[in-house]
Amino acid sequence: MYYQPGEATAYESMRYLTTKVPFGWLMRSVHCWSAHLMIISLVAHMFSTMMLKAYRPPRELTWVTGYIMFALTLGFGFSGYLLPWNKLAFFATSVGTDLVKSVPVAGDWLLHVLRGGPDVTANTLYRFFALHVVILPLLFVGLIGIHLLFVQRQGMAPPIGQKVAPRGMKFFPSFALRDLLLWLFCFMILLVLAVFLPYGPGIPGMEWELGEKANPLEPAFPGIKPEWYFLWEYQLLKEFPPHLLGLEGPQLCLLVVTLLLGIWAIIPWLDRQAARNEPSPSFSDFGWGAIVFLTFLTLKAWDIGGLQPVDSPASIKVISRTCAWWTLGLGAVIVAVRWVVYKHRWFIFTGAALLHVALHGLLGLSYLTAGAIAGLLAVIAVVTRVLAARRVKATVGASP
Amino acid sequence: MKRVALILCQAVCALQIGVAAAEKPAIPAKLAALLAATGEDRKPVITPEQRTYFEGLNDHITALLSNATETEIITRADHLGSILALGLRPQKMEVLLQDNCILCHTDPEVQKPETLFSLSPPAGARPHLNLRHVVDDVHFARGLSCSGCHGGDPANDKLEHTHVKEWPGTDRDKNRAWILAFCARCHSDPALMNRFNPGLPTDQLAKYKESPHGKLLIEAKDPRAPDCLSCHGVHGIRNAKNPLSTVNAKRVHETCGACHANPVTMAGFKLPDGSPLPTNQVAEYRASVHGRALLERGDLGAPTCNKCHGNHAAMPVGLASVSQSCGLCHAGNASLFDGSKHKKAFEEHKWAQCAKCHGNHGIVKTHDGMLGTGADSMCVDCHQQYAKNNPECNATAEYFHATIARMDEAWSQFGVVAEQLAMRGLDVDPIHDKLNELADTIKQARAHIHSFSRNNFDQVVAPGNKAVESISALTDGAKTEYRSRQLGLGASIVLIGVMMMAVYLKLRRLERQEEGSLR
Repeated sequence: MYYQPGEATAYESMRYLTTKVPFGWLMRSVHCWSAHLMIISLVAHMFSTMMLKAYRPPRELTWVTGYIMFALTLGFGFSGYLLPWNKLAFFATSVGTDLVKSVPVAGDWLLHVLRGGPDVTANTLYRFFALHVVILPLLFVGLIGIHLLFVQRQGMAPPIGQKVAPRGMKFFPSFALRDLLLWLFCFMILLVLAVFLPYGPGIPGMEWELGEKANPLEPAFPGIKPEWYFLWEYQLLKEFPPHLLGLEGPQLCLLVVTLLLGIWAIIPWLDRQAARNEPSPSFSDFGWGAIVFLTFLTLKAWDIGGLQPVDSPASIKVISRTCAWWTLGLGAVIVAVRWVVYKHRWFIFTGAALLHVALHGLLGLSYLTAGAIAGLLAVIAVVTRVLAARRVKATVGASP
Repeated sequence: MKRVALILCQAVCALQIGVAAAEKPAIPAKLAALLAATGEDRKPVITPEQRTYFEGLNDHITALLSNATETEIITRADHLGSILALGLRPQKMEVLLQDNCILCHTDPEVQKPETLFSLSPPAGARPHLNLRHVVDDVHFARGLSCSGCHGGDPANDKLEHTHVKEWPGTDRDKNRAWILAFCARCHSDPALMNRFNPGLPTDQLAKYKESPHGKLLIEAKDPRAPDCLSCHGVHGIRNAKNPLSTVNAKRVHETCGACHANPVTMAGFKLPDGSPLPTNQVAEYRASVHGRALLERGDLGAPTCNKCHGNHAAMPVGLASVSQSCGLCHAGNASLFDGSKHKKAFEEHKWAQCAKCHGNHGIVKTHDGMLGTGADSMCVDCHQQYAKNNPECNATAEYFHATIARMDEAWSQFGVVAEQLAMRGLDVDPIHDKLNELADTIKQARAHIHSFSRNNFDQVVAPGNKAVESISALTDGAKTEYRSRQLGLGASIVLIGVMMMAVYLKLRRLERQEEGSLR
């Protein structure tokens, strides 16, 4: 109604919306807060599904549809970020879309398709607007329908060890009224946040003050960072050297990220223990290891503990050390709670992720070297553990 | 078919290679030998950079270089290397290679240390022996080389010395007044100078003769007096816009300071009141608002010595011309002062106008404390002594100070409030517009105190007072809007709370009904 995509109108219409239109400020604030809270909710939902093994058969496709919806939500975030056409959004989108170039063979073509030309221009804005308000919502609505259909047909996943979920309640009116109660509560919280913190909580990557209008002729200013949910990838990209193993750094980084996300997508098929309705501590540990991995990279991207200038070698060293201590602290809490409360005894992936952080942040090894050492040790530990388990199984099977 | 195409391609390529080879003439044997020469350590004397430079030379320059080797003016590889190392563009290299003076005076085999020009003269050598200075000289760039000043025939390969007749035969260093006339041969000739630099004035000598420097040199024959070379250098005279020039804006204070900051050189020179001429001007200037603007911020609009004192006609700024001199840049303030009642009073007391309050070489950044009757006031001292019977002057000064301080404080406070309101998501653009108006008025008011007129000052600050009122109303409006947002939120929370309570009660009732039906 008020937003007008276009190089000469996008920023101006946003400014008009937030300053002149009655309750326009509230709409934008609620929109931005909802977007971030939606991603936080999805991350929490995804990890809880992962930890509870709710993805196990016959719910593999529910996991996959959820996974795709999560990717679409990130797409919503990325495409919506450019629409105000302000300085930060413009340059962050330029840097973000530039990564597509690293895709082998079709990289340049993909970049051209994404941007509608070689550079971020009004064409990019039109494309992102279409993505944000038409294409992604249509896809999302379809997928959420399928996702809910699966949930409705298959029911809630029972805890591991049980074959049938506890008796449920009627969707209408009992479940619907409870849902409404929660929805009202969330809406109230959202309103409070939107009124008292209209530009976000002030955390880097989670703020949306309109600022200055984008000027494509200006050089990109230093220290541009993406939204918080892309920070881990941004930092991982920075950890790669320009060239490694005969590939360009960004290409190799993209390969690693694709591999990790690919593994995450096919977890229901990899976790055979959960498929047999047996506890699978290794996959729970894999989930916790992923949390440690993402936490360290995100903290580092926030330059926690950085000196001035933040990009100096001395500052980077201090940032790595400070973030390592914070991550190790969090890791210690996670391990202690799992050990004491949940009686977990499988810590190879969490241990490897924490070793990676310690080698890099405390001993000063490069991120990739530390990762290679920790990864190698994790592989040896997993193989040893699997072989030992097989031996025990064989011994038990052979005994009368 | 493919074979025919291949043969054709090979033939075309061979033809092109042949044409290219024919276009590049072979290097003459002597020159080639020097280029290929190796030193005692069996490494090539000509460095790869020098070789690359040589290969980029055009045929004309290569021919001149070859000629110098054929006529045996260049006979050594290190001599050739020192010329190639200059990396000159073709026009300058052409001048150099046609000048036997330079070619001979750069040959370490032929020259004594005191006559050898090189890129790195030994420590303690006379500075004019730096070859880089010679080729960077503004005269050299226009084709005027050694013989232009020293005489002789640069084309003469017998290398005879025939110095020009204008040079005194003896005691050239004792009485340097001849240098003025020598430079003026060209620089005072409008027709000649027009050929090289039509914009360059030709009245330098006339101005210089009228200056204290000129009188000291020409009339008093004082050996400390500067001549042309003292400021411009001997070799290596560059355009004043060149940052390396000794008369570049950023280096003028060093050039003047070479004498004026040296107590030994300046010993015996006195001010009109008989006190010794100070030598702290450069130090004061460096710390001044002008010095910092020029030297730290690189603001070339900031003045240096010659902006106030002149250059060839350099002289002290007269009492009557201080405001003219300052007014070249501070035109508004100077004009206001000239129209004020203080102008006459200052003239009566023979006070140096602007300099009386602001100083001269060490002018510091002004502040509002200089107004009024406080400890830093510029007004009190003179007014207590000379204007005791004018109490309205103090009142006016206090009024100026209080008005500006009030507006400045309002600007700062409302700036903070605007920032807070912006963080709360309110529209502060209209407030910022008015704050800019206020800032503009404060700037104008600070300038208009130089009118020393309350009426004039009031006219200027009137828009500022209106801006303060507008800002106050706008911030109040924004605060009210924020309060209404909070009230709206409170009402929404109550409404949502009521709805939640209703849903909860409905749920309870349903659960009870279910429990009842189960029983």
